[in-house]
Amino acid sequence: MGGDALTRLLEHPAIWRGRSAAHQRGLPTGFAALDAYLPGYGWPRTGLIEILVSRFGSGELYLLLPALAALTRAAAARWCVWVAPPLMPFAPALVSQGIVLDRVAVVGGARPLWALEQALGSGACDVALAWARQPKAREIRRLQLAAERGRTLGVLFRPRRAAREASAAVLRLSLQPITAGVRITLLKGRSAVRGAVDLLRPGWPA
Amino acid sequence: MRLSLWPADALPVDAGPARAAPAAPATPLRTLTRRHAAGGRAGELWAGLHLPGINPEKLQQLAVCAQRFTPRVSPAPPDGLLLEVQGSLHLFAGVAGLRGALMSECLRLQVQPVLAFAPAALAALVVARAGKPLAVMDPAQLTGQLASLPLASLRWPPDTLARLARMGVRTIGAALRLPRAGFARRFGAAQLAMLDVLTGRTPEVRVTFHAPERFRRRRELSCELENHDLLLAALAPLFAALGAFLRARQCGVVELECRLTHRHVPATRCVVRLAAPATDVQRLAGLLGERLSALSLPEPVRACELCAAALVPHQPGSNGLWQPGEHGGSAGTEACGLIERLRARLGSEAVHGLTRLEAHRPEHAWAITEPPPAAGRRGALTGCSAAVPAAGRRPLWLLPAPQRLCVRDGLPRRRGPLRLVGEPERIETGWWDGGEIARDYYTAVDIHGVRLWIFRERAAPHGWFLHGVFG
Repeated sequence: MGGDALTRLLEHPAIWRGRSAAHQRGLPTGFAALDAYLPGYGWPRTGLIEILVSRFGSGELYLLLPALAALTRAAAARWCVWVAPPLMPFAPALVSQGIVLDRVAVVGGARPLWALEQALGSGACDVALAWARQPKAREIRRLQLAAERGRTLGVLFRPRRAAREASAAVLRLSLQPITAGVRITLLKGRSAVRGAVDLLRPGWPA
Repeated sequence: MRLSLWPADALPVDAGPARAAPAAPATPLRTLTRRHAAGGRAGELWAGLHLPGINPEKLQQLAVCAQRFTPRVSPAPPDGLLLEVQGSLHLFAGVAGLRGALMSECLRLQVQPVLAFAPAALAALVVARAGKPLAVMDPAQLTGQLASLPLASLRWPPDTLARLARMGVRTIGAALRLPRAGFARRFGAAQLAMLDVLTGRTPEVRVTFHAPERFRRRRELSCELENHDLLLAALAPLFAALGAFLRARQCGVVELECRLTHRHVPATRCVVRLAAPATDVQRLAGLLGERLSALSLPEPVRACELCAAALVPHQPGSNGLWQPGEHGGSAGTEACGLIERLRARLGSEAVHGLTRLEAHRPEHAWAITEPPPAAGRRGALTGCSAAVPAAGRRPLWLLPAPQRLCVRDGLPRRRGPLRLVGEPERIETGWWDGGEIARDYYTAVDIHGVRLWIFRERAAPHGWFLHGVFG
């Protein structure tokens, strides 16, 4: 009897339950294990995501490469903008991973957050990657709004210690290298899944 | 061809078309007569503007603006302007609409014209000079409409007009009724030829006006300015003039120069370069504002000048049905706007593209290019069209120059010992241009698990270097 009353109460349209949220189908990551782990079965197509790494070069870019290749090879591909990368992306390696260099633009310069906001909000990019030192919570909120305005996926790489700070990003992942790949921990996402997933790099000598 | 078979003198001279047509015996002759005697070239309609008291600069300005209505604009100095508008009539809902649009364009430039339409250029001008805003659409009615106009509107020499007046010839109709041979003998062949042109008997070739190719406008400021916002406000009339100039020529600019003149020091130049031809002056003003805000002026500004040299024909593209990023909507103008904004703020070298070169030396295997072109629609790329380099694994990040690693016991170290994994790859090339390298590349893992691309020189000191990071 009590269970019936609860069911009736929960059927009320004013009550919203987390698991009834409509998921937009995401952008396939290229890794089946990661797809199953992420909300929406892939990267979100719009919005800002944060990838927290302990050290530069821990495998964070490797994680994004299949999605970047798919985006740049699409029929009406927009740009893939790299804002203030710490080193120069090596063109032959990008090509061998299937990225079309025609769609890649690199923005250097002194104001990475401003440039990232411009790129996200302009609507000219499919994806914008940025390496920023210490963005403030307000700035991340601005970036998230700009990404929604321009229907762009923004990827912000930040140091691991930023995990303690609040962030407006739709998805936050923490990354650490393991022997033959990377371990990914979901810190924030629109799903109830928690825990970590290990990705192994095929053909990666131990 | 048929027209030239009939010498002009063989046709009835003093007859208007209405009288000539019934007199003609056979069909070919009749059509020939009508077309020859009344009306200019088939299917022409000229708008003639009489602009009393206009100065040459304003006449040119009006001619530039009039190119909005038709490409065939022909000034008739000192105070006339002619437009061939037959092809444009349907765009302006007929003569009445076109008249309204032309008049409002003239009012915008603060001139008061008399506007007349006629099938022959000179006739339109003469009707306008006579102060009659007529619209003669039918070539057959042209001579009849002209007949009542005073001869003075033809602007013949005063003594010719005085002699004609003494003969009692004061209107164009009266002059047309005079015998041709006698008229030519007494008043000159030029005047007879002008009458022929007037009635459309001989076609008139008019020189088409071409607007100047470059834009250059200067404005002296009433007081010296230092503030960037006030400078932009002072530049606003120049931008408005540039907008009208570009609209009339249907051109865009790819480079815009602003020159700010000071009292003592040389002028400050400020150049805006665009990724794609721009016609939108608001955007240009915004970009120049970005540029000016990054500029420090040595002295207050006394005068400013706006120049646009390289004009590019502008072809407005159609807008996509979808927003960019939505159902495969691509970004065209947004991409150019983004590049321009980034460059205006960060400098022109801040935005670039990447390309791969066919070379084995890692340093020579890539290059910086211009930013990628705005995304057009292309087919999806399937498969891996670019051949994967046969050489081994390449890192995603390359250091600008190899970085020397410290060595202990013959093994490289970087914040701790490095562990070498996998097989080495030898790159030994470049002897032909002096940049010879001979290296053994290894993949190394540091104590934090980051994978590095390092090499050992094969030459004598056998140093270890870090050259890339696998991301």
